[in-house]
Amino acid sequence: MDIVNIPILKIENFLIASVQVALYDMQAIQFKDAVLQKIYETKAKGVIIDLTAMDVLDSFVGRLISDIAAMARLMGTTVVITGLQPAVAITLVELGLELPGVTTALNLEKGIAKLRLITENNADGNA
Amino acid sequence: MAMPNKVITIQSDLDIVAARMAARDMAKSMGFGAIDQARIATAISELARNIYLYAGEGTVTVSEIQQGLRKGLQVVCEDQGPGIEDISLVMQDGYTTSKGMGMGMPGAKRLMDEFEIESIVGEGTKITCRKWKRP
Ligand SMILES: Nc1ncnc2c1ncn2[C@@H]1O[C@H](COP(=O)(O)OP(=O)(O)OP(=O)(O)O)[C@@H](O)[C@H]1O
Ligand SMILES: [Mg+2]
Repeated sequence: MDIVNIPILKIENFLIASVQVALYDMQAIQFKDAVLQKIYETKAKGVIIDLTAMDVLDSFVGRLISDIAAMARLMGTTVVITGLQPAVAITLVELGLELPGVTTALNLEKGIAKLRLITENNADGNA
Repeated sequence: MAMPNKVITIQSDLDIVAARMAARDMAKSMGFGAIDQARIATAISELARNIYLYAGEGTVTVSEIQQGLRKGLQVVCEDQGPGIEDISLVMQDGYTTSKGMGMGMPGAKRLMDEFEIESIVGEGTKITCRKWKRP
């Protein structure tokens, strides 16, 4: 069985992972573990998960994304999901999954701007 | 001319992706729009995963159907698993026996135009759902 190979890049204090292929359930779980491990190793302040290439998001992957966001939050890291296609967003809501607690942005660029804003505000708050 | 049926055997999580890709491909070549393609693919993903999780194995059959002038896509998900005792219960948002979210069945129904469940406890489950093309 394939091990998922989604590069998780570090840029400044942020991690960026772009999901380019349909994930099997096992691969989706491996991806979740890899993101959390990388947050721990790099002490990243923010993570962007870019889903521009995903044309289907079902309840399994939807829940994993909510889980990643919740677990990262416990580790003090903010997750922003970017690039949800309109068809994917519509389907998620009709399915009944609104991804509560998950921060989203239209595209990678807006996602990075949002992460900067959130992490700077957090830093001010903690000072 | 109608496209030939596609039958996907569900035995692992890889087959869940294969089933939804087969349904999406057929929807696309029938001329369904991007949003309907996503609805169909997502519904099939939910039903195929239920087969894998609760029955262990089964089949998903995707076919092109016609009723008068309307064209549609039909998906039949069949298994010889434990069956469903209370169908109205599993159709409620949030009902789950597996610590899932309980969204798969009611969600798939919302995403499709027609949705029928036949199930006999101890014998298996057959779910037939359809999406019609807007003229
Ligand atoms: N093919 C099947 N055979 C037997 N029982 C089934 C089958 N499909 C669904 N069920 C039962 O119906 C319940 C509800 O299914 P549904 O897909 O709505 O939610 P779930 O699978 O529990 O969670 P989710 O799909 O949100 O991850 C399941 O927990 C299971 O008990
Ligand atoms: Mg389910």
